[in-house]
Amino acid sequence: MKTNAKARFLKGMDASLTYLILIAVALIFAFPCFWLILASFSASGSIYSFSGFFPKSYSFASFQTLFTDTGMYDYPRWFGNTLFIAVGACMLGTLLVTLTAYVMSRFRFPTRKAMMKGTLVLGMFPSFMSMTAVYLLATQFNLINSHWALILIYSAGAPMGYMVQKGFFDTIPQAIDDAARLDGANNLTIFTRITLPLSLPMIVYTALTSFAWPWSDFILPKLILKEKSLYTVAVGLMSLGETEFARFAAGSVFIAVPIVVLYFCLTRFLISGVSAGSVK
Amino acid sequence: MFKAIKNGNGKVALSTLCMGLGQLCYRQIGKGLLLLLIQISGIAFFVATGGAWLRGFFTLGTIKANPAAGIAGDNSVIMLILGIFAWLLVAVYFFCWRANIKDVYATQLAVEKGEKPSRFGADLQSLFNRNFHKAALFLPLLGVLVFTIIPILFMMLIAFTNYGGEIVPPELVRWTGFESFKRLVTLKEVAPTFGRILSWNFLWAVASTALNYFLGLLLAILYNKKCVRGKAIWRAFPILAYAVPGFITLLAFKFMFSYGGPINQLLTAQGHRAIGFLDLDARWMARGIGLFVNAWISIPSSMLLATGILSNADRGIYEAATIDGASAYKQFTKLTLPYVLFATLPVLITQFIGNFNNFGIFYFLRGGLYMDGYFLASDTDLLINWLYNLSIDQSYYSIGAAISIVIFAITSVISLAVYILSPSYRQEETYR
Repeated sequence: MKTNAKARFLKGMDASLTYLILIAVALIFAFPCFWLILASFSASGSIYSFSGFFPKSYSFASFQTLFTDTGMYDYPRWFGNTLFIAVGACMLGTLLVTLTAYVMSRFRFPTRKAMMKGTLVLGMFPSFMSMTAVYLLATQFNLINSHWALILIYSAGAPMGYMVQKGFFDTIPQAIDDAARLDGANNLTIFTRITLPLSLPMIVYTALTSFAWPWSDFILPKLILKEKSLYTVAVGLMSLGETEFARFAAGSVFIAVPIVVLYFCLTRFLISGVSAGSVK
Repeated sequence: MFKAIKNGNGKVALSTLCMGLGQLCYRQIGKGLLLLLIQISGIAFFVATGGAWLRGFFTLGTIKANPAAGIAGDNSVIMLILGIFAWLLVAVYFFCWRANIKDVYATQLAVEKGEKPSRFGADLQSLFNRNFHKAALFLPLLGVLVFTIIPILFMMLIAFTNYGGEIVPPELVRWTGFESFKRLVTLKEVAPTFGRILSWNFLWAVASTALNYFLGLLLAILYNKKCVRGKAIWRAFPILAYAVPGFITLLAFKFMFSYGGPINQLLTAQGHRAIGFLDLDARWMARGIGLFVNAWISIPSSMLLATGILSNADRGIYEAATIDGASAYKQFTKLTLPYVLFATLPVLITQFIGNFNNFGIFYFLRGGLYMDGYFLASDTDLLINWLYNLSIDQSYYSIGAAISIVIFAITSVISLAVYILSPSYRQEETYR
């Protein structure tokens, strides 16, 4: 009886400790987001007029100015630019990386191992290196301020990260391909009619990540886009100071909400996608 | 290829001299004409402009611009990039020539076996089937070549010139050999900064990777515990943090720790003095805040990773261990940790390199601070931040390029060693 009671006590302690940690972790992760959301509804813009973490009074004013007061900070325009770049890079990048991963997974050709090692070595170069070069070259060839340049750079870099997708294609049994081949399908048909439909989770994951990257990248747009009307949201929000804090918060909330919702809808794919690069 | 030339008949020899002739002799008209076109246009190109580009690669320009005298002058940077481009075209041309010899030799062997030379239409068809990989990889390879390989080659070569500072077009750039690397380790201002930043960079990469990895793993184990109800709800909080774009998080934390920020407001309201968390004299406080913010951003993804791995773990082993009386701690160190480490080694390396080159954290938190004792950098700057300050802000291009090569050397030696030793690379086919 005594040991039983002790065990139950220990179990209760363990559970309450676990929940204590869970609550603490949840607070740590939720608080900054919560703070930003509250700030976006503050009536006055400057961070100096807050009392501690919380605004003194609330209103929708900063959302209104965000979309109507476009003289200095043209947020709707930035949003459109970002959407254009992200959608373009997402479509092109997903296509390229899927093709690369499929070929690397299914075909055995003489230069394959060399290519795999090559991408590995190229990946070791700081990504900044090619960006600096692209910047220097863009200034020399007058490609500064071009959205298409950004889309091309993002999607051309995508095939370098083919490993996760290759890992997924590796798990689709070769036998399915062989069966289709016996029925007279060629490799193009196998890819478009059999492999792609089977890989929907992977493609969703790829599309999401290759959308999220340009959506939230700031380095490349900052280098390439010098004109304020061509900015993406990331570069634009960076130019806001402490006195425009509420506007910054509103702009952040507006751009973060769609991507957060997307992530939550796709959590299932996310877990399988993130862990696909590892060994199962 | 040498076998093809040695054992080939007269038609192979013809193709060796001039692309496409052998194919034409085999009545492969379409392919033969295409190859002949490549041969002719290639020669025409190198006679007309390519030769000058190749020469320009070595001289980097000889005529200095002089607007007063109306001389346009040479642009060294454009000459360098055109030179690289011309060399790549030479390589492509050689590749075509080699493929052309191999192709005609294969036709010869087929004919000797009594088969017919393949038709051009059939060759094109094979791009959708037997040679699907060639057609599929063409665009990705082209993209990587233009937007990754050429820029990297360009930057590597810049490290061996004196480009940057005063010397930018219209000034003429020269090749200077290892001068930039020498300046990096000997120059009075640059060398001490390099040493300090390098050691902090290593400390940062190890500390932040370990912190994020283990806390993420612990979190995943915690969410997996039997006594936890509503796992999806608890897990939603880190996923929320994961989904918020990084620059928003970083800017928000910067506002939070700034002088007018909420923390300092609470401090001053209680009668304390405001603290410059991220100021010049913040020292370890700024580094600690960097570690914390980075953990906030990266722990969710390592938690998701560990969750995925743990869901594949064999529950039976744990039950057996419990029956044998192993404590929870023992189970963690003897079962969970080895398993997860084995499975995530490749990802761990990627995370290490990602942290080694983590540009965003200190760029947003403390960007643009220059400190005494540092050459155009502050004590939290990583090599990658220094690289940015030097090359983008101050246009010290050649020294910046030299630093890039050093970063590359460090990360590649570490990760290639680990990667080649890791089971996931050697046993790629095992899990098929």
